[in-house]
Formats: sequence, C-alpha cells, structure tokens
Amino acid sequence: MVALLAASLTACAPPRPEGRLIVASKSRIDSLDPVQASRSGQMQVLSALGDPLYAMAADGRLEPRLATALPQLSADGLRARIPLRRGVLFHDGSRFDAAAMVFSLRRFMAIGTLGYQLADRVKAVRASGTHEIELELKAPFSPLTRLLSAIALTPVSPTAYRQHGDKPLNGRFVGTGPYRLSFFSGQQQRLTPFQGYWGPRPANGGIDLVTLSNSTALFGALRSGEVDVLLANGLEIDHQQALHRDAAAGHLHEGSGPPLSIGFFSLLTDQPPLNNPTVRNALARSLDRRTISERVSLGMRPPLRQLVPPSLSGSEPDAWPAYDPVTARRLFRQAGYCNGRPLRLPLTFRSDIPSDRLLALTWQAQVRRDLGDCLALEVSGMESTTAYDQLGKGALTLFFYDWIGDYPDAENFLVPLLGCSKVKGGRCAEGNSALSGSFWSAPGLEAELQRSSRIGGSERQTLLRAIQRRTAAGVPYLPVWLMVEKAWSGPGISPPRFDGSGRLQLERLQRLAPPLEQARSGMSRPAPAPRRSAPAAAAAAGSASDRFATVPSSSPEVHR
Amino acid sequence: MSRRTDLLRYLGARLALAPLMLWLISTLVFLLLRVAPGDPIDAILGPKAPAAARVALRQQLGLDQPLPIQYGRFLGDLLHGNLGVSQNSKEPVLTIIRDSLPASLELGFVALLIAAVLGLAVGFSGIARPEGRVDLAGRLFGIGTYALPPFWAAMVVQLVFAVWLGWLPVGGRLPATVLPPEGTGFYLFDSLRAGNGRQLLGTLRHLVLPASTLGLLLSGIFTNALRLNLRRALGSDYVEAARSRGLSESRVVLHHALPNALLPVLTITGITIASLIGGALLIEVTYSWPGIASRLQEAIAQRDYPLVQGIVVVVAALVVMVTVVVDLLVALLDPRIRF
Repeated sequence: MVALLAASLTACAPPRPEGRLIVASKSRIDSLDPVQASRSGQMQVLSALGDPLYAMAADGRLEPRLATALPQLSADGLRARIPLRRGVLFHDGSRFDAAAMVFSLRRFMAIGTLGYQLADRVKAVRASGTHEIELELKAPFSPLTRLLSAIALTPVSPTAYRQHGDKPLNGRFVGTGPYRLSFFSGQQQRLTPFQGYWGPRPANGGIDLVTLSNSTALFGALRSGEVDVLLANGLEIDHQQALHRDAAAGHLHEGSGPPLSIGFFSLLTDQPPLNNPTVRNALARSLDRRTISERVSLGMRPPLRQLVPPSLSGSEPDAWPAYDPVTARRLFRQAGYCNGRPLRLPLTFRSDIPSDRLLALTWQAQVRRDLGDCLALEVSGMESTTAYDQLGKGALTLFFYDWIGDYPDAENFLVPLLGCSKVKGGRCAEGNSALSGSFWSAPGLEAELQRSSRIGGSERQTLLRAIQRRTAAGVPYLPVWLMVEKAWSGPGISPPRFDGSGRLQLERLQRLAPPLEQARSGMSRPAPAPRRSAPAAAAAAGSASDRFATVPSSSPEVHR
Repeated sequence: MSRRTDLLRYLGARLALAPLMLWLISTLVFLLLRVAPGDPIDAILGPKAPAAARVALRQQLGLDQPLPIQYGRFLGDLLHGNLGVSQNSKEPVLTIIRDSLPASLELGFVALLIAAVLGLAVGFSGIARPEGRVDLAGRLFGIGTYALPPFWAAMVVQLVFAVWLGWLPVGGRLPATVLPPEGTGFYLFDSLRAGNGRQLLGTLRHLVLPASTLGLLLSGIFTNALRLNLRRALGSDYVEAARSRGLSESRVVLHHALPNALLPVLTITGITIASLIGGALLIEVTYSWPGIASRLQEAIAQRDYPLVQGIVVVVAALVVMVTVVVDLLVALLDPRIRF
C-alpha cells in the first residue's frame, strides 16, 4: 500500500528553486527574538539574520563587525566607547545607529533570557554620538569584546520592536544581517538574501532551515538528498561516524567548528566519599579517556584534560592527571579501599542523551577491568532537567554533563564552574560551584577569578592557567572530552565552514559549479544520491585537504 | 419514559459531568507537574545561571508564589478560557495548540481512514470461508499489525521508502521549499481551498508515510473486531431465521449480520479517535510531524507548566466530546441499548 502510494506520488516531488539550499538540524526554534535566545539552534539562525558588534573569525581572531574598532577603555577601565559602522540598514529599511544599538542592548539587559550576562557587568549603556555608544561597567572587565561578540546582542530595529520593548517578538526578526527572515515557524525558517546588506552578498540564493526531530530522519534526509546540509546537533554518534566515513571517502563534505564545548564529571566534594582529596585524585587517575573516546564517540570527541578548550587563550594543556591505574590503586589503598573493600560510587548520567549512557557504562566496565577490587561504579540514569535540579541540591555524587561557553573566552568556562559568592567552612555554599554540583572552593580562588576578568594580556593568561592548575589539583571536576560542532553537505554543495564562535556560516554555502563533463551534457546539478555523484562533486569541491579542513580563515567574507 | 427522553437525560448527565472531569484532570496535572522533580528555571536558563537571574525569572513566571495562589490563578484563567503563556517561548498556549493540534488531527484522520478501509476489508475478506486460508491470513494480519512496535515499524518504513528508495520525504508536513497554506492548519483542506496544487501534493507526499504506518498499525484492531463480531452475528438466531426464509447468503451477510457486527466497531472507532486526538507520539517523533503529542513531550521535558496544562485540558475536553458523540451514535443506531 505504501509502495503504491509512494510510487504514485514520487513523480510529484516539487522542484527545488535554483540557488536556494536546505539546511536541516534537530533544533526546533520557538523564537528568533534575541532576548529569547538561549539555545544553540536559535543562535545559529540569528548569526545569519543579524550582526554582532564583534565577531570571532575562524582562526580565533576578534574582528569588528557592526563596530568599526575595538572598544576604547577609560583609564580606570570602567567606561568603554565603541564606534559603530555607518551606512548599515535594518531589514525594514531603517538606519542602524547608536540609538538603535542602545535600544537593543537595554532591551536585552531588561528582558533577555541571558540578559544577566550583560546586566551583571554593565551599569549603563548610552549613545555618545550618532554612531558611537558608551558602556559604563560595574567593574573592569577584560573579556568585554568577546562578550560583545555574542550573537544574542545583535541589534534589532527600534521601529519594528517599538511595541515590544518589554516583551519578546516571536516569529519575526528585523536586524541587520546578510539574510532577512521571510517565513517563520518552529519547524521551518526561510532566509532570503537582504538586498541592502552592508557587507558581501551571500553566496547562495537563500536558505530554508528545517527541523527533523530524530537522528535517523536527519541522517536519512542528507543521505537521500532531501536536504543539502546537515548540522550535527542532535545527531547520534553512530550516524555522525557514518557521515564522517562518507566524507572521508569523498561522498560528502564535512566541516568542523572550533571545539568550544566540554564534557565532564562533576564531583560532590563536600560529602563522603568525595570530600576526601585522595579519593578524588585516585578517581582522576582511574579514567581512561582515550578508551572512552574511542569506544563511545568513535574517536570523534578527543580526550580532554583541562577545563578551558585548547583553542582559547589561557587554557592549560593537560592540567588534569593522565590515566594511571597503578597510582590510582595506591591512592585508593591510601584512602582505605581495595583488597575486598571497594569504593562504591554512584555515577549518574543524563538518560535522555544516548552517548552519556554509553560513556557511563564504558567507564564502569573499564574500572571493573582495571581497578575492580578498589572501585565499583554504580551507574544510573536521570532525565536532564531533573538532574540539573538535583545537582544544585547536592544530590548527585558523580554526574556527567557538558558545558558550552556563551562566548568564546576562558572566563566563560572557569567562572560558571568555579565561581562562588559565599564560602562556608571551606565549602562553596552559594554560587556557580554549588549550582554545578561540586560545591568546591579554595582559599582566594574567587578573588583570583575576579582579578582575571579585570586584567589582560599575558598576565591574565598566566593567572588563568594557574587557576586551572589549582583546580586540577583539587579535582572538583573531571574533564572527559571535547565536543566539536560538525556539519555535512551533499556532493554538489560547498564544504560547510564555521566561524570562531562555532556557528555554521550559512552565507558561504553554495551549489558548486557542475563538473565539466556534466556541464557539457547539459546537467545543471549533480544527482542527489551521494554515492553515485561523489567523485564528480569531490573534483568540483577542490582538494581533499580543503574539503576536510576545519575552517579556513582566509575567505574575504570573514574579513569584513 | 420514552427512549428519546432517556437519551436526552443521558446526554445532560454526561455534559454536566464534563466540567467536573476537566477540573479533576487539570487539578491532577497541575499537582503532578509541581510534584515531579525538575525546575523550569533550569530548563530555561540552564543549570549555571546566577542565583539573581534565577530568582528574577522565578518571580517573572510567578513560580515564587505559594502553590494555592498559583493554583487559584490557573483555575481563574482557565474559567476565563485563558490557558496562559508558554514559559519558554512566551507564546500564548492557545496559539501553540492551534498550530499543532490540526497536524495531529489531520494525521489521525487520514490514518484512521486507512486503518478502517484496510482493517475492515481484511476482516471481511475471510468471512466466505471461516478458518480458510484467507481467514487465517486475515487473523495473522490482525495480530501482526497489532503486535508491531510502532517506533520500530515507523523507522523501518522510513528507512525503506524515504532513505533507501528515496521515494518519499523522511519527515515534516511540507517540503522545505513550500510554505504552509494559510487557514485552519489542516493543510489538505487549506491547500484544496486555496487551489494550490504544489501545497496539496507536498502535503500528500509528506502524509503518506506517517499516515500509512499509523493506519497499518491501527488496522489490526478493526480486522479483529469485525472478524469476531461478524462470525458471532452469523451464528446468531436472527441470521439463521433470515437464512431459513430463503434469503441469499450475500443479503444475509450485508443486510442482517454486517450492520450488527459494525456496532462494536463504531465503539472501537470512537476509542481510537479519542486516543488519536492526543497525537501519536512515536509516529510524530519518527516522522518529525509537528503535532500536539511531540509538542507535549517537549513541554514536559522543559517543565513548561502552562503549556503542559493547556494541552492536557484541551485534549481531555476533546476526548470527552468525542466519547459522548460516539456513545450517542451507538445508542441511536442500536435500539437495544438502555440508559
């Protein structure tokens, strides 16, 4: 019956409009108002519809976008003046100027879901000229420029949002980016090139973003040619691995973003048995990251022994101890375990994330193999939202989850895990460390964290590295792996490229010119089945090294 | 008392009980959501938002109020037809339901049509020779389709027809390049009304796999119900009486046995419709169908209290309505039924 219906409707597939591309992901988008933006899917779409003041290039350099220069700081570091680009238009035709930027920043601070990120640091925003704004800071803040690269701070047209100064405007977006939003629903967004854009025109004729709610559907949609580009967000590891193999064989193009997300264990350090530093140190040496990375992520998530991703300045390479079962056994013995008295440790993973379960089970098996007489991990799953709630209440002894910084700076990985506003008896009673489930603190650590956000240059980097070394010695967390955002494009499409903030650059995607022989025979685009047309597409896409490169940074579109 | 009066009294009682039932359901949902572990603030801000931001959001959402006050506000709004605003998207709950319920109803309706036609045809086919090969095949079909795990069946169908053969789309309601038709949210109806062939074909292509899968999985119920009831009817006294009057076998089956055998099928249809109103979660998730069930699942995961409460109340109200209508239909068609 299905075959009959399918056969009769197969011939009726609607034609693809020339130049437009279909990009699929798992992210359902409820709102494209920047004040509502808190999820990676929203940020991805906003990055094509809006412009931040500054942007991270693929090579990690910070570049002015709607600003024309880096902020000019006052001598006390409490005022920052930012000159703005002239001749920029909003999608509704109104002009971008200082008043518009001030309106957008104030609105974000007042009603933004992530408004605290700015409001905690900025006392006031005002226009100091028609195209210059001044930020009055609560305290000197050296990563200010990186904070201002957050796409959620993209300006919106005061004309369009006048009635929505104190409430979000869902389903519309009027900003300054290379695309304007021409249709919006939770499952589908249509982006059309904005004719009045100040920068280079997009390389394609528009983007249709679609949401597919499960990994098999996403995987199948790219394999069958139904979509042109696929974002890895929500794709299960084995599907990612299959696409990776296809890309390695030249059947697809693969692109990777900068590694800005970490997976780690949080250790409850204020209660037995993990209040004992010797046990924590033993546990740190019990984790065979390489095996876990290979078995669970099939090598796609590299092992990590630091909290700050290596691509960010101030990271301390391999600060955490390496896998060393001999030392681990010695430490466990020292703490009174082993020899028929194993430490029984409850390990909780997020049950709604398949790779977390695999990771927990793999570590459990690895520990049983290597340190069975000293350590027994008792694995159980808990749904994410419940687990996050329990985490801050100190209910989870050992919990695995992940963290992605809202803007690419070391501070955004250290403060959310180590910050502590109230220390009581050497334990963090209030603050990020408590919310993160470790409740760990060290004398003077909070002061060092605060100082690191006031100073800059090499002095800051040295301090950030020292903080990580201190943290590694205390082992309140166990970094496990680094997660990289990936995307794949079909054979007739250019390789996906990411910017330095981990967003796929939609404006750079394009259909590749058909290979010569196809052009001669009059074919306008490669056949949809990836395997059949792969060699031709590979030839059109350029060299293998280019196809699999992380993100080349020399493209003129990046350096606006 | 006349039968008509009985019927009206029964209808009145059912309708009078409906608000009580809805109140009980909404109260239960309200309480269960609050008792369940997990904090909406974590779902919105993530686990590492600063305490001040968490407190501010909690106040903004009214979650800092004592439970009785929250409940009073919820009930008051409900009485005024206000289902509140989604905590996550800040979209009115009614708008979200209006957008996603038609998708589930459209899928459910087409699936039910397929299930009824297929199931009844298979169930009827073996009647000429009971225990014969066709009858046995029909029985196996009924058991097999009923026993198939929906998620697995949907995934296999999706893999074969969408991924391997590439005949039909893997998911969604429309091709990415086609914009949805304006109107009721029932795309088949809206595109027909607009006379837009592209939208109609796109809708049909996207409906085929989910509706066929769901229809196939539901068809076994109809097959078994019809088969059993038809066999029972064919062995009853009134059928024997009809045969003894010299009526042809086809007339006996079609005019005497079948109408009686279809009455229980009508009840089953009502129950199936009621279950489909809330959406078919596994089918919706597999085929990325933007229906009410997948929306409810997301809302539960995000602890979006107003959205969960709103969806449950609306779905419960519709289920109550459908069951009343089906009960009345059965009563009207079967004069033996007393109240």
